Amino acid sequence: MHLIVCLKPVPKPGTVRVDPETHTLKRESAELTLNPPDLYALEMAVELKERYGGKVTALMMGPPNAAELLREAYALGADEMVLLSDRAFAGSDTLATSYVLSRGIKRLEPYDLVLMGKASIDGETAQVGPETAAWLGLPSVIQVKKIQQEGDHGWVLVRVREGYEEELSLSGPAVVTVEPGVNDPRPPSLKRLLAVRELAPRVFSAQDLGCEAEKLGLSGSPTQVLDVFAPSYQREQILLTGEPEEVAQELVSHLRTRGLI
Amino acid sequence: MAGFWIYGEWAEEDFHPVVYELLGVARTLAPRLGQKVVVVTLGPEDRRPGVEKVLAYGAEEVLFLVHPELDYFRDDLFGRLLGDMVRERRPEVFLFGATSEGQALAPRIAGELELGLTAHCTAFEVDEEGRLVQIRPSFGENILAKIVSRTRPQMATVRPGVFPKAEAGEPRGRVEEIKLAALPPSALVRRALRPLPRVENPLTRARVVVAGGRGLQSKENFAQLFELAELLSGAVGATRPVCHLGWISEEHMIGVSGVSVAPKLYLGFGISGALQHTVGIQGAETVVAINIDPEAPLMKQADIAVVGDARRILPALIRRIREIKEGKNGSGP
Ligand SMILES: Cc1cc2nc3c(=O)[nH]c(=O)nc-3n(C[C@H](O)[C@H](O)[C@H](O)COP(=O)(O)OP(=O)(O)OC[C@H]3O[C@@H](n4cnc5c(N)ncnc54)[C@H](O)[C@@H]3O)c2cc1C
Ligand SMILES: Nc1ncnc2c1ncn2[C@@H]1O[C@H](COP(=O)(O)O)[C@@H](O)[C@H]1O
Repeated sequence: MHLIVCLKPVPKPGTVRVDPETHTLKRESAELTLNPPDLYALEMAVELKERYGGKVTALMMGPPNAAELLREAYALGADEMVLLSDRAFAGSDTLATSYVLSRGIKRLEPYDLVLMGKASIDGETAQVGPETAAWLGLPSVIQVKKIQQEGDHGWVLVRVREGYEEELSLSGPAVVTVEPGVNDPRPPSLKRLLAVRELAPRVFSAQDLGCEAEKLGLSGSPTQVLDVFAPSYQREQILLTGEPEEVAQELVSHLRTRGLI
Repeated sequence: MAGFWIYGEWAEEDFHPVVYELLGVARTLAPRLGQKVVVVTLGPEDRRPGVEKVLAYGAEEVLFLVHPELDYFRDDLFGRLLGDMVRERRPEVFLFGATSEGQALAPRIAGELELGLTAHCTAFEVDEEGRLVQIRPSFGENILAKIVSRTRPQMATVRPGVFPKAEAGEPRGRVEEIKLAALPPSALVRRALRPLPRVENPLTRARVVVAGGRGLQSKENFAQLFELAELLSGAVGATRPVCHLGWISEEHMIGVSGVSVAPKLYLGFGISGALQHTVGIQGAETVVAINIDPEAPLMKQADIAVVGDARRILPALIRRIREIKEGKNGSGP
């Protein structure tokens, strides 16, 4: 069985800069880390491999220095590492990102299942999973909590929805996103940490993937950030200062006057 | 054909509450874009009474795709059918609630038709060029981003509870029923549906929300919020860091990663007021901030800004309110 897990390099909180011209993230200058929700997808894939046999490929679109994160994924149980990296990918929105991922996934055929995190902590759109599935012409299921194989090319999945969980059967390969918190991602294995020192991810460029240039990067992204601004508030404000007992009392009387308590 | 489309997600017999919230958005924006408000929905014939209900909430047209096997949501099937409708009718705008279903569906359609899609918008504008400007908090920064889409329809998702519901009026408009003879294939089949033990989140309906942030400094200080909430018949809310610190469980998180609240009174203790938090209190009528730093963003936004140590003001406030409730000293010294 071949399982592909998409892992996103995200800036470590606090190290992000925004490009003042394009208003997109300047990823080059940020320190990177594996998107935490993706660790649940990786763990689920590794558990599936342990149950059914096969291999797990960790797939990432990112800058060259993201290769280090793929090594981390190897230590966490992935067997192969693939980095999609090209200057032309910079500034991609979710549509352009999912296009590149879908080209990468095609290169890794045949496969049985693609697993992703529910959402990234920087973009937090939760869009890349279903969009990638659409590019590949595959079904997608989001917020999956459990996966079992059924027959040769089938799956039984449980996904969470508001107020209930739903059991679905699914035929053929698909893209699923994994609900955070559904398993306990294992710690890195020492043996694998040592082994990976000798290994490097395979790297594919836009040309290697046969990407159409107009679908890439900032110019291939249909959403455009026009402007960023600080919110402004025009409220009549009451400012209270003083000793805790005093301000508490004043606050209570203001709230009582307004009929709020 | 065009139109300002809203996805009509079902919650049993009626539409999901977020559909009524999107109708409120559509009613203000659609006229400015010169578009008709259209709800697009799929289901078996017997959903018709539910379908007609939205005509009283500002829907000028309902596109109702009918087939007996459309009785539950299937990502690939619904994505395909709606994608085909979009190709055929070319709407200007297509909005979805950011529910599990909306978040499964909107990006499928965007991917299939190669369209831009903006997640979790908290406000919209129409610019001089007649574009829908989609506003959302920008990555971890205390700023909002204005986003436009180069493709049509302009697609966006909106979290439930962010916008007020449309009000009911005289029904107008009509339902266009499209009976489908056959459905495209789907890889998905529902096996079972198990209700989860439903913990109704009191936060989203609370009249009073008392929320705390990192400024409260400890779990023990934070716990006093429960006492205040009880005195005020309110609910306790929190910022993301304090949920992650384990001071309170994540259902209490307010903001982009949590819930949106719309109380008459919101009190924020030791909360800086990052946009990721404050987008969740957009609907609050009166905002009170308690912070040692008068320059904190939440202080700027508050109706009543109290400068001081939240760790000391919170117990003082509890004492004062308790005195009043117990009938002592009611009019103050
Ligand atoms: C993708 C993403 C999603 C996010 N989603 C959410 C979300 O849904 N909800 C959310 O809340 N956050 C969210 N965040 C985090 C958000 O950006 C802020 O970091 C967070 O809201 C800050 O929490 P805070 O106000 O408790 O802490 P801080 O920002 O650390 O603020 C603490 C405040 O307490 C004040 N203070 C300190 N001591 C005292 C004292 N003794 N008395 C009174 N005041 C004191 C300080 O002056 C400061 O203003 C998200 C971030 C990202 C990147
Ligand atoms: N650059 C990327 N490389 C690999 N996987 C990604 C990338 N961007 C997004 N993903 C995957 O898509 C999921 C959802 O991301 P998002 O739509 O940004 O919230 C993530 O959890 C990842 O699994």
